[in-house]
Amino acid sequence: MSDIVLELKNVNRVFGQGDTKVQALDNVTFSVKRGEFLLIVGSSGSGKSTLLNMIGLLDKPSSGQVFIDGTNTTKLSDNKISAFRNSKLGFIFQFSNLLADLTVLENVMLPRNIQRTDQNAQKQAIELLRSVGLENQMHKRANKVSGGQAQRAAIARGLINHPAIVLADEPTGNLDSVTAETVIQLMKSMAKKLNQTFVIVTHDRHQFGEVDRIITIKDGRAFEGEDVPPKMELTV
Amino acid sequence: MDYRVQLAKRMLSNKKGSLIGAVLAVSIGILVIHVNFVIFQGLYDAIVRDLSSYRFGDVLVTDEESFITKSDIFLVNWFERIPYVEAATPRVQSSAAINVTKNGKLIEEFRVPVIGVDPFRDPRVSTAHETVTDGQYVFSRNSVVVGSRVVSDLGNIKVGDSLQIKITDRRGEDQIRRFIVTGIVTSPGGQGLDSEIIMHIDSLRDMLDRDGETGEILVKLNDPDKASDVKNYFLRTFPNDEFKAETIEESAEAALSGFRSGIAMINMIGYFGMMSSAFAVVTIQMMLVSSKTREVGVMRAIGAKRKDILIIFIVQGMMIGALGAGLGTAMGLGYTFYAKETKMTFAGSIPLEVSYDWEKVIQTALMAFSLAVIASIYPSYKATKLQPVEAMRYV
Repeated sequence: MSDIVLELKNVNRVFGQGDTKVQALDNVTFSVKRGEFLLIVGSSGSGKSTLLNMIGLLDKPSSGQVFIDGTNTTKLSDNKISAFRNSKLGFIFQFSNLLADLTVLENVMLPRNIQRTDQNAQKQAIELLRSVGLENQMHKRANKVSGGQAQRAAIARGLINHPAIVLADEPTGNLDSVTAETVIQLMKSMAKKLNQTFVIVTHDRHQFGEVDRIITIKDGRAFEGEDVPPKMELTV
Repeated sequence: MDYRVQLAKRMLSNKKGSLIGAVLAVSIGILVIHVNFVIFQGLYDAIVRDLSSYRFGDVLVTDEESFITKSDIFLVNWFERIPYVEAATPRVQSSAAINVTKNGKLIEEFRVPVIGVDPFRDPRVSTAHETVTDGQYVFSRNSVVVGSRVVSDLGNIKVGDSLQIKITDRRGEDQIRRFIVTGIVTSPGGQGLDSEIIMHIDSLRDMLDRDGETGEILVKLNDPDKASDVKNYFLRTFPNDEFKAETIEESAEAALSGFRSGIAMINMIGYFGMMSSAFAVVTIQMMLVSSKTREVGVMRAIGAKRKDILIIFIVQGMMIGALGAGLGTAMGLGYTFYAKETKMTFAGSIPLEVSYDWEKVIQTALMAFSLAVIASIYPSYKATKLQPVEAMRYV
């Protein structure tokens, strides 16, 4: 198994054309090692969410390639992309995005149900909920738990399929500082415990404290570290 | 349970307003068809029932040219040997000029249809005798029973009054006789012999100078479904007698063909109503899809395929269809039961002939269910077209 779990090669994303053309991502190239806890930071409108959408296979690059766990995802069909997202990626959104019609436990089991590998799904989901401290809330409807609890459940949902990468888009953006700290610590501990790769997009780098690695996005270009050297493009 | 079915069920049950609206739309479409069926098919069947009971029997035998010359006793006995036949009776029909005198004074004279019946055999075949509201049915050669409309035309004559009847015989000569009114008939809905005068068959034969001849033989069956068999058997047995035999549907064809077209039209309106309820389902399903845009986006993001999303919303359509069809059928059967138990009448007169047509009940329920599912296809397809990134912007 390769040590590189994510690799972007010359990824460009252009929206619009002519006078309205916007270069959201500009020749982004970097790779991520298995087990890394990576922050992608940048100001609003810098292109970091667009980058996350590329990594999450929610959007396709205008040019360039995205490799996940050694697979070139840019050539996959819609159905294969869905299956790939399900098995290789875990998602944590800003607003947890649990399905309100299901219980917390059912939400955590959902990726397994979609994958049709229901065997032990409930047992594993309960174990994960226990590890994020939600064993007492698992039978509650998802819209009946607090924002912090919902986000912890979303972390459990993101992990249930043992994905190659867990992608988090402003996971603390909707939480108070105390709850945000709890969620961050939970993600860090899970990353260590499971040797799980986390790619987290945030505009608030300081909330996360010590992390393995930081990539800064500015004007659609990716730079290693927090400080953006003038004219220096990222190479890894 | 498959997660898609479970999710469809939860999504629907958590949108109770939409669910109730959609289910009612489907069920009311079905109810309209059931009500139409009870009223209009019930009315049609009631008219057939009354025509059979009062005028035609289940099988009506006449002569293609004129009167039946074969012995009526022979024919009646022949029919009554068939196991399916309950009874048979001869009748003669003509028209007469009548006048009524009251206290020796002529009130009026006009023409009315006259029916000659066998007082002993006719009550076994026809229910005309049950419509006597005053006095009694024909029992002797010099008695007549008068229909209620004739009674009012004649200035409200009463039982016991005498009536002068003038009939032109086969040679063109007028035969005049005086009869005693022994009964008055009034039928619900006026489908009976309310516009006729009923007399002893032999009296009418005498006046027509058609001794031993018969106008028609009415045959009543134990099982009306065997009418065609009995008719065909009769025609095969007497191939050279120029008999004409008709089932009740054939006898009543002229009277009911227009009515049948009317029923078809009313049914068509019912089915259009059902189709409009399908549009309601489309609208409600579109609203449901629209309200679940974010959920669709999340599901797509975590790996659900377009097919999975399609199945969720199609299953919702199936649930709406099943619930609507169930409720509509229950309401329709409830109305049918009520109509049957209360012997519902049409416009307060003719009692409807209410029946449970299970084939039609199942057909209507299946059609409503199918329409609800078909109506869900477009909204479901729209849901599959939602891109995860776009969908999740609806937070």
